[in-house]
Amino acid sequence: MRRALWLLAGWAVAAAATPVVDYPPVRPGVAVALPADAGAHPDFRTEWWYVTGWLAGPDGGPLGFQVTFFRTRATLRRDNPSAFASDQVLIAHVAVSDPARGRLWHDQRVARAGFGLADAAMGRTDVHLRDWSLSTRDGRLQARIAAEDFGLTLTLEPRQAPLYNGRDGYSQKGPAAGSASYYYSLPGLAVHGQVRRGAQVLAVTGSAWLDHEWSSSPLDEASVGWDWVGLNLDDGGALMAFRIRDREGHVRWAGGTWRAADGRVQVLAPAEVAFTAGRRWRSPRTGIGYPVQWHLAAGPLSLTLTPLMDDQESDSRQSTGAVYWEGAIEAQADGRRFGRGYLELTGYGDRLKFR
Amino acid sequence: MRPVGSAAPSLAVFGAQLRDRPLRLFVSIAAIAVGIALAAAVYLINESALAEFGRATRELSGTADLAVRGTKAGFDESLYPQLATRAGVRVASPVLAREAALVGGGTLSIEGVDPLVAAQLRPELYGDLAGRYVTLLEPDALVLSAAAARELQLAQGGTLALRVGVGERTLRVVAVLPEGATTRRVGLMDIASLQWLTGSLGRLTRIDLRLAPGVDASRYAASLVLPAGVDAMTPALEQTRAANLTRAYRVNLDMLALVALLTGAFLVYATQALAVMRRRRQLALLRALGVRRIELRLAVLLEGAAVGAAGGLAGTVLGWLIARLVLSLQGADLGAGLLQVQTTQVATPPFALAAFIATGVVVAVAGAWLPARRAAEVAPARALKAGDDDAPARVHERVALALGLLLSGAALAFVPPVRGLPLGGYASIAALLAGGVLLVPAFVAATLAHLPSPRAPLAALVLARLRLSIGQSAVSLGAIVVSFSLMVAMAIMVHSFRDSFERWLGAVLPADLYLRVTPGADTFELTPAEATLLAAVPGVARLELRRTLQLSLARDLPPVVLIARPLEAGAGNLPIIARATVLEPTLPVAYVSEALHDLYGVPLGGSVELPVAGRKVRFAVAGIWRDYARSTGSVIVDLASWEQLSGERRNTEASVWLGARATAQSVGEAISARLHAGDALQVIESGALKDRALAAFDRAFAITYALEAVAVGIGLLSVVLAFAVQALARRAEFGMLRHLGLRRAQVLAMLAGEGAFMGAVGVAYGLLLGLVLSLVLVYVVNRQSFHWTLDYVVPLGQLLAVALTLVAAAALTAGLAGRVATSGSVVRAVREDW
Amino acid sequence: MSAPLLVLDRLVRRFGPDRPAVIDGLSFTLEAGEWVAIMGESGVGKSTLLNVIAGLDRPDEGAVRIDGIDLGDLDDDALTLLRRRSMGFVFQAFHVLPYLSVGRNVALPLSLNGVDERQVRPRVEAMLAEVGLADAFARSPRELSGGELQRVAIARALVHRPRLVLADEPTGNLDPKSATQVLALLARTVRAYGGGGLLITHSRAAAASADRACEFDGRALVPLAVR
Repeated sequence: MRRALWLLAGWAVAAAATPVVDYPPVRPGVAVALPADAGAHPDFRTEWWYVTGWLAGPDGGPLGFQVTFFRTRATLRRDNPSAFASDQVLIAHVAVSDPARGRLWHDQRVARAGFGLADAAMGRTDVHLRDWSLSTRDGRLQARIAAEDFGLTLTLEPRQAPLYNGRDGYSQKGPAAGSASYYYSLPGLAVHGQVRRGAQVLAVTGSAWLDHEWSSSPLDEASVGWDWVGLNLDDGGALMAFRIRDREGHVRWAGGTWRAADGRVQVLAPAEVAFTAGRRWRSPRTGIGYPVQWHLAAGPLSLTLTPLMDDQESDSRQSTGAVYWEGAIEAQADGRRFGRGYLELTGYGDRLKFR
Repeated sequence: MRPVGSAAPSLAVFGAQLRDRPLRLFVSIAAIAVGIALAAAVYLINESALAEFGRATRELSGTADLAVRGTKAGFDESLYPQLATRAGVRVASPVLAREAALVGGGTLSIEGVDPLVAAQLRPELYGDLAGRYVTLLEPDALVLSAAAARELQLAQGGTLALRVGVGERTLRVVAVLPEGATTRRVGLMDIASLQWLTGSLGRLTRIDLRLAPGVDASRYAASLVLPAGVDAMTPALEQTRAANLTRAYRVNLDMLALVALLTGAFLVYATQALAVMRRRRQLALLRALGVRRIELRLAVLLEGAAVGAAGGLAGTVLGWLIARLVLSLQGADLGAGLLQVQTTQVATPPFALAAFIATGVVVAVAGAWLPARRAAEVAPARALKAGDDDAPARVHERVALALGLLLSGAALAFVPPVRGLPLGGYASIAALLAGGVLLVPAFVAATLAHLPSPRAPLAALVLARLRLSIGQSAVSLGAIVVSFSLMVAMAIMVHSFRDSFERWLGAVLPADLYLRVTPGADTFELTPAEATLLAAVPGVARLELRRTLQLSLARDLPPVVLIARPLEAGAGNLPIIARATVLEPTLPVAYVSEALHDLYGVPLGGSVELPVAGRKVRFAVAGIWRDYARSTGSVIVDLASWEQLSGERRNTEASVWLGARATAQSVGEAISARLHAGDALQVIESGALKDRALAAFDRAFAITYALEAVAVGIGLLSVVLAFAVQALARRAEFGMLRHLGLRRAQVLAMLAGEGAFMGAVGVAYGLLLGLVLSLVLVYVVNRQSFHWTLDYVVPLGQLLAVALTLVAAAALTAGLAGRVATSGSVVRAVREDW
Repeated sequence: MSAPLLVLDRLVRRFGPDRPAVIDGLSFTLEAGEWVAIMGESGVGKSTLLNVIAGLDRPDEGAVRIDGIDLGDLDDDALTLLRRRSMGFVFQAFHVLPYLSVGRNVALPLSLNGVDERQVRPRVEAMLAEVGLADAFARSPRELSGGELQRVAIARALVHRPRLVLADEPTGNLDPKSATQVLALLARTVRAYGGGGLLITHSRAAAASADRACEFDGRALVPLAVR
């Protein structure tokens, strides 16, 4: 979804007849500084807080979940005194992958900031759309989501240091100098809380991963697809890897960050990351085929990625127009479990229809 | 019992009418058809309008379960976050609806929405706009409905200039909605932009709510605590409210359709009654041959039913076509501008249509009831005897019944309205009409009995003939009495209304010039600064400011209008009809209109709670004033107290008195120039304003006049036909008279005399009955449906002119009928058996 | 008394140029005081003849003269006045107006001729007595039998003492006994009032009540012996 939105970011410029907004650029050498940068950066075009993870209930059955808050700044002048006139648009997306029931629970919300109904605070992670929120309390993150037929109330406790992707959080996203974002992750979050499915409430524990990323520079026109993976490694390490594809499916850019169990961080160059697609699954709803089985070579690591379940496709054509696959995966090395995390596959269907 | 089967021979006798008197039959069918058509057209037009109203509401608010609605002025936006976060609410979509004045004239309804929220209620509408949200959020972006784009001749990329305050703003059309999205002529904008553009910062006019599954909308609506003047309404309740708005107008049109229907019923009665009289011998023969009474009766009733079914069917189809024509020509508001919707789609509710056809049958069978009884009562032995073809009418037997009906009609006039409808009044009219018509034979008999026997042999002949044929005369008089009396009643009501209205206009428009914001345009208001500017225009001797706004006082009733204007002590400048003697001294005073007094039960001398800036404020009711402009209720308060209570200093209207040497035109131009308001502000001379109001009045009643003409036409036609039939039946008599040495001209004069006399009696009687009915219309029906009183005025000259025309027409047609009857061979006529 | 009461001079009447004449060159004279029966088969033209005589139909050729006046010289108005003054009619179907009393029915010709209202009633009552209906003045025609109705019709035909009485099948609707009485009455009263008359009938018995009888064949009135 994040990549989908970033791909979407192009529409704002394309549609605006008279660009009246100067978005701040993403510059190398400007380091991400926590905790101040944990909050919103409303001048930038796009920003997200992205939590993914694995949960297990008392019965032991695994669940995947993702809770996402997006912020985007519309190309509006800021001189309208109306309380509705905020240029900050917030989008929330939440999904729970439930292999025992063979289904994906998901829901989404969109709103303009304002009236205390939707807001992304500056200076700390505190973003909400009505009663959906991701906030900071006592150094812990709290996610509260009450969707129509399911809900999440989770406490996320950091156990590891933040992982600054790229160079001190400056993450290159393409060959051009401006194609970049500020990007840090909080891997290895310890999770406890409750998951509601229908009327059933389940106490859960697990581990999760938070991405916080903001930028004004969209991907260039040639970039149409994006594969991303974030893994909490069983040995206490963390791995993030992504690649960006062009229209022909060739790799246009790639990158990643590996932190070994001993804390040593290795920033992966494009040449050090290789995604190789394996088994494909075709969505019965949209007819789009996604490679759900992967081989990933990232730095010294050589991993096989297997999905928690095949059908983790998200259809958000009603709000953003994007269809993508995003789901829980398990990583194996040499036939043994090596870690767990989330995989996102974007740009396998039609080119986004809002164009 | 095989009544129908063995009614066949009797049916055959009546069936012969079809060949015999196709014109008479046709007129009976046509009369029923016209009545049904008018009723059906009124009903269908209104149903279509309401359906369209509902559709338009649904189209733009989508799947909302509740609409929280204030009046046009709106309410504070702080309600929005309260509702959006309230338990049970899934989506709360804020809306600001505004009528924007267009540069170059006209207005456009613009709804300001938060597209991101509104899309959740109407995804199929905004789905097309997905990806253009940001475009839509831009301050000058406008999305047009297909209807609006067509009418304004704009496409995507076009621009539209609006009149805003004293300036102009140009909007870009960033998208045109697909044709199926809405039939309304409407624009969509970002709510923030519209608030800013129209100076409505902080205001909303509506919040559409989608509730969580399983929440009962009406119960939830009742549980909401809302500011004064704001209501939560389910779509069904909104429909009711819209229906209430047009109800009185609709009921009155239906009443007119009823006039045509009643005339039709009497026509069926007259046709069948004459047929029975003419066929006494055939009927007697059938009885002699062994046909039972019940079979004869059924045969007559069946024929009535057939006429009714044919008329009902033709009328329903005709009504549907009229509805379609009217809708395509002038939209769905019945000419009264009450529902501002446009539709060309005629609603076709099958049950209602079937009911209209059934009504035709019932009316016709009712008309055939008495003739059927008379047919069954034919005494075979007597009727078969030669010369007994013209049974003397039993004049007096129904007098008691008629008097009973008249008395109950008088009593019914005092029944209070039922669910806001003057049902007692209508029942009273029906009873008076029925009693009146039943009394016609007795009236004619009495009139004839009191006429001196004339010396002239021709006149003596006429009188002798009329005296004997009261039965037949009364039958043919029934239809003209019904239609003419109703016409008289309607004419008196409309005339009284117009007369009162004209005088009222004089009272409420005392100034020389009026300034008002273009009706429907919410984008312009007079600020205090502009008012000061105005007062300084040379030639302006006095300036009176006024603010009008809508208030909602009850959830299921249409909004009322509040007028804040300077009140002189005792409100001598208002058309007051009642004053309170004692008032609560501490309260600000209010003068309520008759409608408000009636609809909300506001007592004179008591108090009324009005929402002022979201609070409820009590006002003392110092008087009741007459307001013909707002049938849903209005209230006048003093401008100074209003400004103090509400904190608002903006006005929508101003009255200007001119200085000694100033002319209306020059001052008007000076004002327009000073304010740069262009066509958002209208400067109107009081004379022109009055003319315009009266023209609108006449237009609204045009359909009334048309219906009156139709009803009287049908009545006259029935008289003509009765004459023609009688004249033909009397050919032998005319032949004999010619043998006796009467000139043909004398025979014709005799007939014309009969016609004139009958017409005169019918018209005089109709006039009398109409005067009585008009009292019920003016003092009961009008009062209860529109909630305002009228000064009773009889347009005597006009009525007499119509009456004389009718009498002349009756005489003329009788003479014409005579020409036909006397044109054949005189000798053959006397040889025919009569 | 110079001219005969009624002269038919070479009368021709045809309906349409291609059709045979109904009356084809008929000549006939009726003297005052004469009561003549005309017989003939149905459809032979008896009624046409009567119409022509009454001035209600005009001959194609020839002339009708009553008391020497050629009807051809009179316009419709004059003809109407002539009928009003000088003729009386009796019809098979009586044609007594049901809405007038017996007396008013009989009084009609007097009223039409402008007789002073004060004289009307005695004359009508006398006339009614003459036809055997004394005291019937105020009665309604509805209460009367067929024979009585025809007496009323005869009274009406004679009350103004017309010169010429034309009776068209006056007994057609009557039983034999009433018929005999009515015919006797007609013959008597016509003579008593001094005029003449034609009785059209196809009953021999009826014809026998007249002074003389003729058979009409369209061309001529051939004397018949009916007694």
